[in-house]
Amino acid sequence: MGNRRGIYIHIPFCVRKCNYCAFLSFEAETSPRTEYAEAVVKEIARRGEELGHPDIDTIYVGGGTPSVLDVSQMRDIMHEVGKAFRIKEGAEITIEANPATLGRKDGVMLAKMQAYKYMGFNRLSMGVQSMDNDRLHFLGRIHTPENIERDMDIVRRKGFYNVNLDMMFSVPSESKEDAMEDLEKILRFDPEHISCYSLQIEEGTPFAAMMESGEISEIPDEEDRDTYHKICARLREAGYEHYEISNFAKAGYRSQHNSLYWNMDDYIGIGLGASGFVNGVRYKNTSDFDEYFKAIDEGRFPVEEEHVNTAFDNISEAVFTGLRRVEGITYEDAMDAYMRAKDADLFLDSKKPEEAFWEIFEEAKEEAEDYASRGLLMIDGNGLRLTEQGIDISNSIMSLFV
Amino acid sequence: MSYLDNIRNFSIIAHIDHGKSTLADRLIEMTGLVESRDMKEQYLDNMDIERERGITIKLQTTRLSYKAKNGEEYILNLIDTPGHVDFNYEVSRSLAACDGAVLVVDATQGVEAQTLGNVYLALDEDLEILPVLNKMDLDSARPDDARAEIEDIIGLDASEAPEISAKTGQGVAEMLEKLVEVIPPPSGDPDGKLKALIFDSYYDSYKGVVIYTRVFDGKVKRGDMIRMMNTGKNYEVTEVGYCIPGMLPSGELKAGEVGYICGSIKQVADARVGDTITLAADPTSEPLKGYKKAQSMVYCGIFPAEGEKYENVKDALEKLQVNDAAFNFEPENSAALGYGYRCGFLGLLHMDVITERLAREFDLDVITTLPSVVYKVVMKDGQILDIQNPSNLPDPTLIAHIEEPIVKCDIMTPNDYVGSIMALCQGRRGNMVHMEYLTEKRVQLHYEMPLNEVIYDFFDALKSRTRGYASLDYEFLRYQPAKLVKLDILLNHELIDALSTIVPEEEAMAKGRGICEKLKEIIPRHQFEVPVQAAIGQKIIARETVRAYRKDVLAKCYGGDVSRKKKLLEKQKAGKKRMRQFGTVTVPQEAFTEVLKLDDGK
Repeated sequence: MGNRRGIYIHIPFCVRKCNYCAFLSFEAETSPRTEYAEAVVKEIARRGEELGHPDIDTIYVGGGTPSVLDVSQMRDIMHEVGKAFRIKEGAEITIEANPATLGRKDGVMLAKMQAYKYMGFNRLSMGVQSMDNDRLHFLGRIHTPENIERDMDIVRRKGFYNVNLDMMFSVPSESKEDAMEDLEKILRFDPEHISCYSLQIEEGTPFAAMMESGEISEIPDEEDRDTYHKICARLREAGYEHYEISNFAKAGYRSQHNSLYWNMDDYIGIGLGASGFVNGVRYKNTSDFDEYFKAIDEGRFPVEEEHVNTAFDNISEAVFTGLRRVEGITYEDAMDAYMRAKDADLFLDSKKPEEAFWEIFEEAKEEAEDYASRGLLMIDGNGLRLTEQGIDISNSIMSLFV
Repeated sequence: MSYLDNIRNFSIIAHIDHGKSTLADRLIEMTGLVESRDMKEQYLDNMDIERERGITIKLQTTRLSYKAKNGEEYILNLIDTPGHVDFNYEVSRSLAACDGAVLVVDATQGVEAQTLGNVYLALDEDLEILPVLNKMDLDSARPDDARAEIEDIIGLDASEAPEISAKTGQGVAEMLEKLVEVIPPPSGDPDGKLKALIFDSYYDSYKGVVIYTRVFDGKVKRGDMIRMMNTGKNYEVTEVGYCIPGMLPSGELKAGEVGYICGSIKQVADARVGDTITLAADPTSEPLKGYKKAQSMVYCGIFPAEGEKYENVKDALEKLQVNDAAFNFEPENSAALGYGYRCGFLGLLHMDVITERLAREFDLDVITTLPSVVYKVVMKDGQILDIQNPSNLPDPTLIAHIEEPIVKCDIMTPNDYVGSIMALCQGRRGNMVHMEYLTEKRVQLHYEMPLNEVIYDFFDALKSRTRGYASLDYEFLRYQPAKLVKLDILLNHELIDALSTIVPEEEAMAKGRGICEKLKEIIPRHQFEVPVQAAIGQKIIARETVRAYRKDVLAKCYGGDVSRKKKLLEKQKAGKKRMRQFGTVTVPQEAFTEVLKLDDGK
């Protein structure tokens, strides 16, 4: 834990915004894409300089929809990453894409995928979400099931053999059977990695407004959880490891980059609204284009919030992010994160990690044990982990440790 | 010419939101007392809660100096009044200290229920009234209509009413000229026996209680021994002076003047609003009229939330009481909530203000139980008990009958909403006394209604049914017998005394069902089913079930935005603090106050 380093680059553009989406993204057509790509290049160079061109284990270009950027813009960005950092041999380099954004003609698509390969991308994450045309339309996606079929065909033909497909369940008015049918269709692509998200209706989205007006209603919790557990079982049966709340992978294909977030490793956030955690400091970039461009122009970092983690921040984050992993968190790793902060109580270092851990979380112990007695949390001599039932109420359990 | 000729003592009266405080700010600014840059928005409303709600609770008094066009220098004493029906007595005492009042009417809204209520209070004190039309900067201002309403509804001549915008300052200078002309100077004999009215007081940690007073006759200075005529207590004056609005000591205060007096008084209850100050050595024979003891109309329990200390709550309540003579409390023991306090308030707003101050100024986590009125319980043996806590209601077999407080409600509304207001009032056991058309389009409805029905969410319901156009004024009328029963609530088969209420027998079933449904929404899901039941005595009259299980998981990881996730978890943790544990059932704090808000706005 804590000895790997990644880069996250945010591309805040989409062809159109989906009805459920609360992420930071704007319509590509009317957004300053060229200016943005240039600014990102400068930010990358500046970060590389500041940190002394360090080694990098993973790179993740997310969004938004990174594939809406021109190939030449993406190439400039990745080129700069290569100049500013030392990318390790075998690094995982992911690009997010959405079906129907990789090009309308087969030829264009093939060339684009080829270009991504040349840029160093070796992992692709596709926002499939559903395999049902009506549901895709309802979600506000621009693609059809046919688009997915064609895109996946080309992706495979171009030799991407580390592919994640995103799937969404508990979409309003969707039945459990619908969700399982989606899953079966997605499994036919034989992806190396699957992320399954339970749809959450977020404030400020079109879905939230539709819910307010009574047009749609949320899937009842019981049904949502029932579907979730069915999905987990089906994926295990199909040979996937359930390694994080929403993530499943074939052996050897866990997401290296996302694991950084759950391991208290360093990651450098680049771009509008991006978050980073570098040398014990959490920061978040501005979400305002004008601010962002201004900062870059003036030679500053476009950082809006910065927080030096205390030892308690460190251990608390280690626990609640670590509990997202099916393996959970060991006392040793948690204490390791704790000891990395300057204000750590050094006296605790001389104690056994388990003892020190519970000294820090003394107030949470009784309730944690209560959860354990109800079969939601496993506590042993090495550490903690959630059971599959515990995942359903993970927030309650995690909130004991903040 | 006497010094009295150059003094004007006046109040500004207005319906809530009509711009009283903004006008006060402008007057202070224009008479040069406070530098603009030091002006907080609405200078007179100095509590945060007041500023947020746009209302005045605690009074401020300000001495302004104004040079009129006739070359004379006038002292204008602006005496503030609270802006809510809960504080009618305080309003009347403030007005008693004045010789005139500026009546602010919002030119976009016209006359409202409280405008009328306040005008009547001012008329009772024989004040000269200067009507003023405010918000003239807005396009929607219709001064002619407002003027006509003032003339038709209130009966004041508004033909020369200044048209102003308190916000921009437009017309305010002209208004000041008019004010000096219309409002009469005070009368009084500076050589007579001291007679001074307490119209407000507050506690200052250095000076003790600071009394705001209007001297009617005689004079008072430092070193005098004064007597409060109604409480009979004597104090030595340590300081007198003017309110500018800070304190400026002066040699003396004399007849006609307004200012403050300090005398090492320990709590505001010893210098009650409305009391008359005289000299202990040479007292006047008669106190001023109009003194009343504070009477609590609404009660509720205040209990420490999970993890909060009882002593902290006690300390905070004591501190609030020192400054608020209308607020009282005594220890209470609830089987469900443990040790806490039963607190009495003038009304619902007063209660809200106190509970919010506990949270904000003292950073306390408290649980407030359902508000209750005071019932008079007539026992078979002839004894009469005052019951303000439903849990204390005696065995029904021992009770001859119960009486509940009835209030007189005046509701003013555009005529379009009469039907829906009548339906609302009927549902609240209201009896219409009469209805009058004030103008072609505006109607005033007079109702007699149990106070119990007004204190929950009547005001909100009224506003939501009339798109905010209706306004309400109410005052206590009498006690009246009613068929009432105690409705108990059980969670997981356990009686929660803090959720018991007294309700009309005929509505018990519907209320019980409503409360159970509401609790079902409010109580978070547990790992097991929680039955919610309503009962009268042993009889269960309604039941709902909070289903087990709950989804409480974040699917997404927000692209490494750990801080966002952390904030969510912290919020969740803080939310839990505001809950109470009953056996294995966790109940959020709002359950105790929201549960009777059953109006669905239809």
